[in-house]
Formats: sequence, structure tokens, C-alpha cells
Amino acid sequence: MQPVAEAVPVVEMRNIKKSFAAVHALRGVDLVLNHNEVLGLVGDNAAGKSTLMKVLSGAYIPDEGEILIEGKNAHMTDPLDARRLGIEMVYQDLAIANNLDVTANVFLGREAVSTHLGPFSVMDSRKMEQEAQRLLNRLKIAIPSVRLMVERLSGGQRQAVAIARATAFNSKVIIMDEPTAALSVAAISQVLDIIRELKAQGASIIIISHRLEDVFGVSDRLVVMRQGRKVRDARIDEGIDEFRERVVAYMIGARDDFAEAAVV
Amino acid sequence: MSFKEALKDQRHNIRDYGMYIAFVVIVVFFTIATKGLFVSSRNIGNLVNATSYIAVLAVGMTLVIVIRHIDLSVGYLAGTLGAVAAIALKYWDLPVYATIPLVLALGILAGLVTAFLVAQMGIPAFVATLAGWLFYQGLLQLVTRGTGTIIIENDVFNAMGNGFIPDLPGVVIVPGVHTVTLLLGLLAIILYIAGEIRNRKKTQSYNFEVLPMNMFILKLAFVSLIIAGITWVLAGYRGLSWAAVILIVVVLIYSYITSRTVVGRHIYAVGGNPEAAELNGISVKKITFLVFGSMGFLTAVAGILYASWLRSATTIAGRGMELDAIAAAFVGGAAVSGGVGKVTGSILGALVMASLTNGMNLLGWDISIQYMVRALVLAGAVIFDVATRRRK
Repeated sequence: MQPVAEAVPVVEMRNIKKSFAAVHALRGVDLVLNHNEVLGLVGDNAAGKSTLMKVLSGAYIPDEGEILIEGKNAHMTDPLDARRLGIEMVYQDLAIANNLDVTANVFLGREAVSTHLGPFSVMDSRKMEQEAQRLLNRLKIAIPSVRLMVERLSGGQRQAVAIARATAFNSKVIIMDEPTAALSVAAISQVLDIIRELKAQGASIIIISHRLEDVFGVSDRLVVMRQGRKVRDARIDEGIDEFRERVVAYMIGARDDFAEAAVV
Repeated sequence: MSFKEALKDQRHNIRDYGMYIAFVVIVVFFTIATKGLFVSSRNIGNLVNATSYIAVLAVGMTLVIVIRHIDLSVGYLAGTLGAVAAIALKYWDLPVYATIPLVLALGILAGLVTAFLVAQMGIPAFVATLAGWLFYQGLLQLVTRGTGTIIIENDVFNAMGNGFIPDLPGVVIVPGVHTVTLLLGLLAIILYIAGEIRNRKKTQSYNFEVLPMNMFILKLAFVSLIIAGITWVLAGYRGLSWAAVILIVVVLIYSYITSRTVVGRHIYAVGGNPEAAELNGISVKKITFLVFGSMGFLTAVAGILYASWLRSATTIAGRGMELDAIAAAFVGGAAVSGGVGKVTGSILGALVMASLTNGMNLLGWDISIQYMVRALVLAGAVIFDVATRRRK
């Protein structure tokens, strides 16, 4: 990898503030995501982590602050803007249409077209099936056929389809909101394997999760948020028990690395 | 893959095939019960004409149901639009080629008004179209108040609901059989087989699995036989009716759009998960406008077919049509929860319901019994659908 690319982070969020009426959801948050890095983002409910990611994925417009994508200032007003910049979000509720097959879900809203006729453009079904199959193979996702209806898949397979979709279009950043919530133990390890595979292939990923052992298992670095602020930002280099204890201390407010900078 | 395994593989498609099997059972039952009268050329010809306007409505209704809405206004809207056509022809002296586009345009406009109420104002479709049901009922009475039933005397217009495609004079393949209809049937079979083979080759070239050869041939033979049978029966009377031609064109266009185009895919996505569709850049609002606009368009087609079939516009034209169309859509496999339902299914649903009525009429069954039998078939179809859907 070139040193220049390493020097410029893929995402840099500076002093992001966002309020909903009287509630200060984000009180000036800085966040950096480097190339080929998996960043864990944790915090108690209402700590602001989902809000921060919704800002990054274009669903919310911040009141203050700036976002740089590969060093360039980005102005996003909706999720499609973010997508065009290569930021893909895998939603907690999956955002998958159960009545469609795997291929249709991977290409939802971005169908490959063989004949261009505006909205009545004819789809290139075989090309999409081929691409979808290639994508599943690349991520080592075990689904018998890309023609299967998603309603016939297991929870883990569905999550895999959602992740595959996020990686289908040369994305720069993949944000996963609780990718392992509501999954069986076997499915969780499937999803974590996919995340490791993505990392091995050079992807940059942010994971929001309540499950500390999952974050610990796949992340390089951890950011803890509390009450709309970042309270810890450090590489993960301890054992799981120590990690859990420390993270909980930050989550409940017993420790705070950025206390002096806090503006209440 | 062996033949048996291939059959087993198709078992999850039982939901799709169930309706075809039910249809065959109904046809066979009435054929035996009426000693062949049911499948006589004359009866089938009449059956097709009497089904066409409901089938056209059912196609539009299926898409409305797919995106989780309903349209109760289409019956009286069809009646009203038929009355507009009659008035335009009779009192405004408009030629047919101006009347039809006018009525189609009004239909689309009415559909867009419904879409505005549903998508823009956020009124539940049931309520918005119930208002439409009342409104168009009133409008129909208003426009026909002065005249009562309006008799349509335009031959070209009336041919759409009653006429048959012309035959080649002097060319006889089988005496007493409609030559052009036979040739069209043959053409349909050739096009179908050629299309299926081309599709199979293309799929194979992409290294995707296809049906095993013996299954493939069985499928080709089965469908070809059905087309041939229908062609033969229709050709035995006066050939293909214009109403059937219009219905076939509508089905072909709508099948293609729903299964092959981007917008078709988006309609099903909106039905399956509107939030997911929106997150992936599909405008639920636009799709809603499109689907209700198309419903309005097809309502106009149905209104024209109905008025043409009756050769008149009456003060109660269209009463109950919306419910027949909704029943046809559900019998044809549409799901109340949205996202599921095929154009071909709705046509089959319309045919099943019309065959029931027709067969029971031939047998002279009491009308009260007829209603109850149709109710059982409707409920049975939906129970079957729900049961096969749950078993995974």
C-alpha cells in the first residue's frame, strides 16, 4: 500500500454536532477511519453512535462540523449522496425485501440494464445473477442459489445478503449497525467470518454493536461514546476480560479520556 | 439430475401450479356435468368476452395489491368512463379514434387523482377509493340522468366487445374453422418454443442450471398443447374475438413490464419492504403514482370493453366489478400482505371465477347457491395460498 493512502484516512469526521429539539445527540464528535481498518463503535443506548453513523451515511444532516472522505470535503443531503461517495450502510433491520430473490436484493435500486428505456429499462438478469454469485463466492458466503427467495434464508444468510449488497459497488466504507443482533450463535460466527474476509480483502468497516465480544473479535480499534461525546479512542491490544471491563467503565462514565475537552 | 428429483425440486412451486390444477379440475368438472356444452366453441367464445373486462381490471388490481393498497373505485369508474365514451360517440359526434384516447386519458387522470390522495395526502387506499366509489357512482348517475341508458350505435366501437378478427377469404385449412385464428395459434406456439429454447441456451451459456431436458420438453409440450387446444376451440366458432386480442395484448405488455423491467422489479420491492426500497433509492411515491395511474388506464380499457360488449352505457354499469377484480386477484395468488402476485395469476383467477359462474349457469344452479360456491372457491384459494406459503 502507498504511504500517501495510509496517511489520508478514508473517513474523517470533525467536531460533528447534531441536536433534536432540546436534546444534544452529538456534542462535537471527532472520528477517524483509516484504510483497511475495522473500527468498533460502542456505547450505551442514546450514546449517539447510531446518530453519528446516520450523519456519515447521509440520513441526517449535521448542525455543525465537517466530513472528509479521502481528504475531500463531502456534503451529503441524503443516503444516495453518501452511496455515490462509496459509503454503504447495512441497516439493523436489514432493509431487505423478503419477497425478492438474493440477486434482486443485492442489486435493489441499482439493477444492471441491457436495454435503456428510462424507468422501463430492461434488466440484464443473467449478468446480475452472475455478479451476485461471484460476490457470494468472494465473501465465502454459503447460499445454495442466488435465485432463492430471501424469505427462505436463515437470519445469518439474510445478514450476509445485506452485507454483500453493501460491498457490491466498490464501496469505500461499510457501516454495519448491529450486524449480529438477533442472530443465533452459529449465524453470528458466520457474519464475523464475512467481516474478517472483507478486512482481508482491504475493506474499511465501522461496526456498531452491543455485543462486546463480537467487536473485540473483529475490530482493530475501538471508539466508545457516551452522552453524545467520544470518551475513548484506542487500539485494541488487551485480552477479552480486561477489554470488557475497561469498555464498560467508559460506557457508564467511570472513565473518560477526553474529559478536559468536554463542552457541556 | 434425474426426472424424479427434478419433479421434487418443483414441489415448492406447488403454490404457482395449484391454481392451474384447480382450473383444469373446474373445466373438466363442468365439461362432464354439461355433457361437453361447457367447452363448446360458442360457450368458450362467450366466456372469454364476458371475462375480458374483469381480467383487465384484475391485472391492474394485482399490482395495486402488490404495493399493499386496494382500489374500490374501479367498478363505477369503469362504468363512468364507458358512459363518457357513449356520450362522446353519440352526442359529441366524436369519431372512435378520438373517443378511445380521450377515455384512456381520463382513466389515467382518475388513477393519478387516487394516487395523489394515497401517496401525497397519506390517506389509506381503502378510504380514498371508497370515496372514489361513492363519487363515481354519483358521477355516473349524473351524466346518464338526462338520457338513461345510452345506446351505442357505432359498429367499430361495438366490435371491441362483440366482434371477431376477420378471416382470410378463400383460404380454408379445415372447413368450418377460422383460418387466421389457427395460424395465429400456430405462430404463438412457434414463438413460445423458440423463445424458451433461446432462453435456455442463454442461461446455459452463463453456466446457470436449467431444467433437465426431459422436464423441459414436457413443459414445452404441455404449454403448446394448451395453446393448441384453446386455439382449436376458439377457431371452431368465429375465431379470436377482439376482446380476447385486447386482453392478450394487455397481459403480454404487463407480464413483460412486471418481470423484465427495472420498474417492475421496483414495484415488487415496494410491496415487499417499502422502507428497504426507499433506503435503496426507490421512490415509493413514484411507484404508487405509476401503479394507480396504470390502474386508471386499465379501468378505462375495461370500461370501454364493457360498454362495447353491452352496446350501451347504463346507469349502473360497473356495479360490483371492483369486487370481482379483487376476488380474481386473490384467487390468482396475490397476497394481502403485499409483494406477491403475478399478472398471469390474476388472469387465471378471473378465468376461474368466470368459468364457475358460466358453468353453474349452464347447469341451471340457483343464483344463491352460485354466490356461495364462489365464496368457497375464493376462501379455499386463499387458504391454500396461506398454507403453502407458511410451509417452508
